[in-house]
Amino acid sequence: MTPAAHAPLDPLELSVWSSAVSMIAEEMGAVLVRGALSPNIRERRDASCALFDVDGRMVAQAAHIPVHLGALPEAVRAVREAGPAPGDVFLLNSPWQGGSHLPDLTMVEAIDDGQGRLAGFAVVRAHHADVGGMSPGSMPQGATELVQEGLILPPVRLERAGVPQEELVALILANVRTPEERRGDLAAQRAACEVGARGWRALLTRHGHDRLAAVASGLLDYAERRATARLAALEGAIGEAEDALEGDGVSDAEVRLRVRLSVSGGALHLDFTGTAPMVRGNVNCPMQVTRAAALFVLRALLPDDVPTNEGIARPIRITTPDDCCLAARAPVAVAAGNVEMSQRITDLLFAAFAAAGVDVPAQGQGTMNNVTFGGAGWTFYETLGGGQGASAHGPGPDAVHVGMSNTRNTPIESLERAYPIVIERYAVRRGSGGAGTHRGGDGVIRAYRVLAPCTVTLLTERRARAPRGAQGGADGAPGENLLNGVRLPAKCRRELVPGDVIELRTPGGGGWGPPPA
Amino acid sequence: MGAGTSPRAVTGDLAAGVDVGGTFTDCAAVAPDGTVRATKVLTTPEDQGLGVVAALEALGAPAGAVTRLVHGTTVVTNLLLERTGARVVLCATAGATDLLDLRRQERAALYDLARHHPAPLVPGDRIIAVDERRTVTGIARQLDAEGCARVVRDALALAPDVVVIALLHAYDAPSHETMLAEAFREAAPGLAVVTAAAVLPEIREYERTATAVAEGYARPGVQRYLERLGDRLRTARFPAPAVMTSGGGMRPAGDAAQHAASLALSGPAGGIVGAAAVLRDAGIADALTIDIGGTSADAGLILEGEPLVEPGGAVAGVPIALPRVLVETVSAGGGSIAWVDDGGALRVGPRSAGARPGPVAFGRGGSEPTVTDAQVVLGRIGSGGWSGGVALDAAAAAAAIGRLAARLGADALRTADAVVRAADAEMARALRRVSVDRGVDPRRCALVAFGGGGPLHACALADALAMQTVLVPPFAGVLSAVGLALAPERREVAASLLAPADALTAAAFSEACEALASRVAGRDRAWLVRVRYAGQGHELEVKAAPGDDGRAIAARFTAAHRAQYGFALSRPVECVALRHVASEPGAGATFRRDAQARPVDAAGGVDHGGPAEGVILVGPRAVTLPDATLWIAGGWRATALPIGGWRLDRETA
Repeated sequence: MTPAAHAPLDPLELSVWSSAVSMIAEEMGAVLVRGALSPNIRERRDASCALFDVDGRMVAQAAHIPVHLGALPEAVRAVREAGPAPGDVFLLNSPWQGGSHLPDLTMVEAIDDGQGRLAGFAVVRAHHADVGGMSPGSMPQGATELVQEGLILPPVRLERAGVPQEELVALILANVRTPEERRGDLAAQRAACEVGARGWRALLTRHGHDRLAAVASGLLDYAERRATARLAALEGAIGEAEDALEGDGVSDAEVRLRVRLSVSGGALHLDFTGTAPMVRGNVNCPMQVTRAAALFVLRALLPDDVPTNEGIARPIRITTPDDCCLAARAPVAVAAGNVEMSQRITDLLFAAFAAAGVDVPAQGQGTMNNVTFGGAGWTFYETLGGGQGASAHGPGPDAVHVGMSNTRNTPIESLERAYPIVIERYAVRRGSGGAGTHRGGDGVIRAYRVLAPCTVTLLTERRARAPRGAQGGADGAPGENLLNGVRLPAKCRRELVPGDVIELRTPGGGGWGPPPA
Repeated sequence: MGAGTSPRAVTGDLAAGVDVGGTFTDCAAVAPDGTVRATKVLTTPEDQGLGVVAALEALGAPAGAVTRLVHGTTVVTNLLLERTGARVVLCATAGATDLLDLRRQERAALYDLARHHPAPLVPGDRIIAVDERRTVTGIARQLDAEGCARVVRDALALAPDVVVIALLHAYDAPSHETMLAEAFREAAPGLAVVTAAAVLPEIREYERTATAVAEGYARPGVQRYLERLGDRLRTARFPAPAVMTSGGGMRPAGDAAQHAASLALSGPAGGIVGAAAVLRDAGIADALTIDIGGTSADAGLILEGEPLVEPGGAVAGVPIALPRVLVETVSAGGGSIAWVDDGGALRVGPRSAGARPGPVAFGRGGSEPTVTDAQVVLGRIGSGGWSGGVALDAAAAAAAIGRLAARLGADALRTADAVVRAADAEMARALRRVSVDRGVDPRRCALVAFGGGGPLHACALADALAMQTVLVPPFAGVLSAVGLALAPERREVAASLLAPADALTAAAFSEACEALASRVAGRDRAWLVRVRYAGQGHELEVKAAPGDDGRAIAARFTAAHRAQYGFALSRPVECVALRHVASEPGAGATFRRDAQARPVDAAGGVDHGGPAEGVILVGPRAVTLPDATLWIAGGWRATALPIGGWRLDRETA
């Protein structure tokens, strides 16, 4: 890597540099997962790591969870506004200052170049199992204000120029239900930031500030070129779509979403005018979650090998009304926005692309099917896969997570060993995918018999409005929630006695093309 | 034909290894004096065994000289890739018959929403529900004779080659699985029946079921292959073969045929076992390994002289949760094609020119520039420096790289250099992943570089990972075959051992150890316990021995956890499973250079495998090895080793 420091990045060097920075982000991810205590980070990998240059530009991200895609630059922006000194380490979760929902604790290290100058930022976001608030897990059913959902952290310094601020840590741990687990997960995040900082510093020592700035520009420009090359092929496309969430968690009234999509001048314009204002329940989401969903949809249109950096997001232009559930502002609650509203935005955007004649899959299950059981001294949380939409290329995959989630299931045998629950049935929900030239993917059936008194909380969607088919394909079957065979609402909380059976039947994906006669 | 063949006569008591690859079948024979003789023939895909015998015959050894033969085979991998295995009927607990379709519910690709996982080995219409259910506390639904009879009748109606029985919680108490298996044996005495708890007695129903199905699917094909191979070898007066397992040990053919799933990564394991043998002779304990072939590179890890063995991994999309030597494969090799993407960037791979048509320089019809062509343009591979006696067409390679350079607006030499560096970057990432993911700092490891392309990329990879030492083993191009020749004979058995560490007495643990030990013979014995914090899904394996109690095991687990993850918890510890390895020492040869081969030509840069007293070369320069080319980069100093091969050290400024 010999060229002059200011010279723009040579096309010969792009893939080598792309590997070099991705490797650092991957390494951060490995250190995080290895060190984390909670199964949610360690096993389900609900976490992301990223590396930013000194100007706050994201050069690489190792993402396990699409919902973190492209949401991290907002965190760095918030930290830069707080006036970071080299060696400062920040923690934040406030959706109004760079966060998403409160359980996602984001750590940002302002990297010291070794000579007391700011060199860049290492960022680790991880979903913590509890951050306080009105109910265990900090994803409360029926919350109407952010303060009910947990401890709110604007960007605060955990370390000042490398010196730990123990009082702040004590304050945070005093406000959560499982302080020891949180301490361990935070330590893992800290170790991951440190690995990122070390890797970035090594590049800096070898190549210098100017060269690294040129590299960052080159990598972002390159990803942008790959994205605009795809958009150029869609120039002139215009599509509109509508969709809705089935209630906000407080009321069953639909929350309507609307978008007008257009591709012009190499940019993807998304105008959400006509979308519902902020709602009372917690399905609102801040702009960065909306942007993450938009980025995911664009990413799904690109070849798999495009590197994940901020350049992909450059051609996206988002417009929302002033008061909009997709650009939430203080003091509304947002916990479910991240898990369910983000899915609905994805569905909405794919539908708009389809309306514009773009080759995209029919709608998938469009929900994460969040299930929480809680009894004396135990809590069990999981999410369930369902049907993916079919596409021009073939049938939709069965029984997978779609859209913004991709976490793994809990083995029946492990679950039954750890909790007073027996899985009566775990099966593919045959025939639930929509008919079509290509069939939609089938959903999942999972029936839990509880052996001890407990509470079940369901946060699900697509129980009334089916995932839609495309190009003449039939809709998938909507999901169903049952208690001893009797239907339950999409979002609810119930007290259970031993012997009760909770059964979820997750939605099938939409079919593609007219069904064979 | 072939590399490393020396003119002198071959004496008796040869330990031979034969490794079947995609293009070549390699054979190495190690003599008691530590000299190695190698041959290479074309692989015979229609029946690998023909190539195996041909490679052995190419040794030219007198009848009876080969006394030990270990085989690395891709027969299981091919059965899984080509989906040409047996017709399996699966019997599963009612209510949980869709496990193979449900997998772990994650999608096949994060952003490619149309992509599917490979289809399961057993379609839904060949899965039979068994009316039974065991829970953690006992039997919730008893399997009765009538239930067994119904399952047997329905299964036989589907005309299976093999029946696989996989029931919930059977890892702990397999009585329902054995009862049903017995019913099949009575009704259809000749039929092959596989029970999941016997293949993998461990918790986690999906992985256990999938592994058992893979066993049933591959077993008849493996059996047929090994029987035919045994016949051929007998006719040619070679000994009966043993087969390398994914875990880096070997099983006699008859035993291997009953453990088909344990052979899925037979090939790559051989290379790492070979690297471990070379490290032992060179006195190095910890190393990363890189095996670079035509289409891919395999990264591995050796700690304290032992290849790292972990459970898990998938072959051709089929999860096989048995112990295997850790190998991480990336699509970067000598045949990887260089191209320009729609963002204007130079890219290398994942598409490969493979063996046919191969790199442009091979003159077999390849037209797209590859990593090997770039090496030729950079002058790192001389004419005739390629295995198999291929004459290199340097002009054609230069023309192909020139066309690529023109598209990029760069000159040919810089383009060639960039192609090699892009491939290096991919491989460096794989090496980092295998080490960092396990808490190992690559800087404290040596790098062992082998395979046809390993010695060419070694210095650059060591530079990328800040490693200080590189070892290029003797017979770098056929090290897998050498590893097979030297492999220890190992047998493994395992059992579920679900118990809180506090409650596990020394007597109970000893009993469990001895129960396993009684099932296998071997001189050296080791016991390994999989342990975790109660309620967590993440396990570590620690060594143990009869006489240990749960507390001792827990203390070892805590220390291991702290070493790997940097912390320990005050949470209770529980045991999950017990594994026992019984082994006989491998062929205990010490490598040495062949006194009768031509000495190293230091001036000309050619290593014929012969004496090399005090030869030290300084980079940048190339050295032609018997079966590969070594590139000594600037800043590196290479010392010819008495054991054969080279050690490279960074020059101190």
